[in-house]
Amino acid sequence: MEDKEFDRLLKISRIKLSEEEKQRIQNDIEGILRYFDSVDKFNEAKIKPAFHPIRIEGHPRGDKIEKFEDKDSLLSNTKTYRGFIIGPRI
Amino acid sequence: MSSYIEEFESKVKPKDYYDRLYDELVRLNPRLNAFNALIKPDKNGIPLSVKDNICVKGIEATASSKILKGYIPPFNATVVERVLKTKRFSIIGKTNMDEFGFGSFGINCEKPAKNPLDEERVAGGSSSGAAIATALLKYHVAIAESTGGSISAPAAFCGVVGFTPTYSVISRYGLIDYANSLDKIGFMARSADDIRVMLDITKGKDNRDSTSTDSKIVGLHHKKLVIIDELIDKVDEKIRSQFFEFVEKLKNLGYTVKNINLNEIDLSIPAYYLIAMAEASTNLAKFTGFKYGFKLNDFSKNYNEFFAEAREEFGTEAKRRVILGTFIRSASVKDKYYSKSLIIRKELIDKLSKVLKDAFLISPTMPIMPPKISEANSMSPVQNYATDILTIPPNLCGLPHISFPYSYSNGLPLSAQIVGSQFNDYGVISFVSEWEKNFEYKFKYNIGEI
Repeated sequence: MEDKEFDRLLKISRIKLSEEEKQRIQNDIEGILRYFDSVDKFNEAKIKPAFHPIRIEGHPRGDKIEKFEDKDSLLSNTKTYRGFIIGPRI
Repeated sequence: MSSYIEEFESKVKPKDYYDRLYDELVRLNPRLNAFNALIKPDKNGIPLSVKDNICVKGIEATASSKILKGYIPPFNATVVERVLKTKRFSIIGKTNMDEFGFGSFGINCEKPAKNPLDEERVAGGSSSGAAIATALLKYHVAIAESTGGSISAPAAFCGVVGFTPTYSVISRYGLIDYANSLDKIGFMARSADDIRVMLDITKGKDNRDSTSTDSKIVGLHHKKLVIIDELIDKVDEKIRSQFFEFVEKLKNLGYTVKNINLNEIDLSIPAYYLIAMAEASTNLAKFTGFKYGFKLNDFSKNYNEFFAEAREEFGTEAKRRVILGTFIRSASVKDKYYSKSLIIRKELIDKLSKVLKDAFLISPTMPIMPPKISEANSMSPVQNYATDILTIPPNLCGLPHISFPYSYSNGLPLSAQIVGSQFNDYGVISFVSEWEKNFEYKFKYNIGEI
């Protein structure tokens, strides 16, 4: 993976690395991807992918509003202003 | 030994039982790093530890990550809820682990876990603390979790019984996800019968986890054992020869053994890591620095800057997996890596299911003895991942498996792993129950003995 491509990957991953970390992780990733390349040799077009190890029927729960009684402890894991969670600017 | 749980419940406990237990763990913990939090129970139940990526209401859950420091779940995970509902258990602590489950040795965290049998060596990971706690405490059960071997590996290195159920049998609600299609909550204990008690209590459909199932779990105790040659070839020679001695003992106990070849098994490690990293990189996106634990205070930054700064709290392995997972999911390589891995998983499920129709798979649990912490630290990521070769196939395919000691060498346990067909969870437990009638496990510590 070229430096430019790795920098782009860091940007979309939203990961900041020090120069030392960057060099080490970039080297590691080269080795790991070489190791991963072996899966590409497996060719069996007829097999359907297994997104889960077992067959999941996949019934989504109803789109119903449920009240969470302990609102205070839920919000205690955030910074709030007048009951609203404070987040960064978009 | 049949059940430590039943033995504990039949005994009269001294009034200061939990005080003494707590004091002893407080004394030992700085040396072994088994617990991220210790709790003095206020009820007289069986001591229970919970891996730190499973939510217990009102108790900090960090998954051993700095980014979750200070996160207090306002709810119990379903598995915790079901266990506490019996009123038979008392939580004594949250156990240490590799950050988010990313590791096989218990060292990818702030305080590396140490093997209680030889403190220079790793305890195994990622459920390192669960295994140490089980090795320390006479009466205790650990709720742990496995994605690619995180129960079997530490159970093997610390010489305890570690059970991972069929995917979907125990609800994942309240688990801090690593990889949703691979994560399974399971248990560690000192006997197979205690594992059975925990499975009875916790199995079954949970409406809060859409992947949990009500499929009937069976207990087929096969007398045929299958060894996959490609797996055994990767085992350290000394372990291999001891393992074959164990297999001879099993033959004398009436088991038949068949060797088979399964070439595709070598692809299980890359396929597993590709799926796991792709899923992990999306799961970790929820840790943004303004909710769950670590928080940034400078709200003048834009979202991307804010997010990137918060993610500096991740450890090296977490960063590596987020970067790789993001890459694997990118449109240009998705078919080459991710989609191919899902196909390999299906192929392995089909082939192993045929083999397991009337048999158990058997192998050593780990291909190496527990390395020294310094040795594990100097391994490359690929060398590290390769040590999971025996635990990944059942985890990738959602097959129930159990690790248990069968011998000892220089004070360290040698453990084997039994794998069953999907939903034959009671079958693998019953295999180990039978083994325990012929073999007594050795424990260096018996804290809490009555």
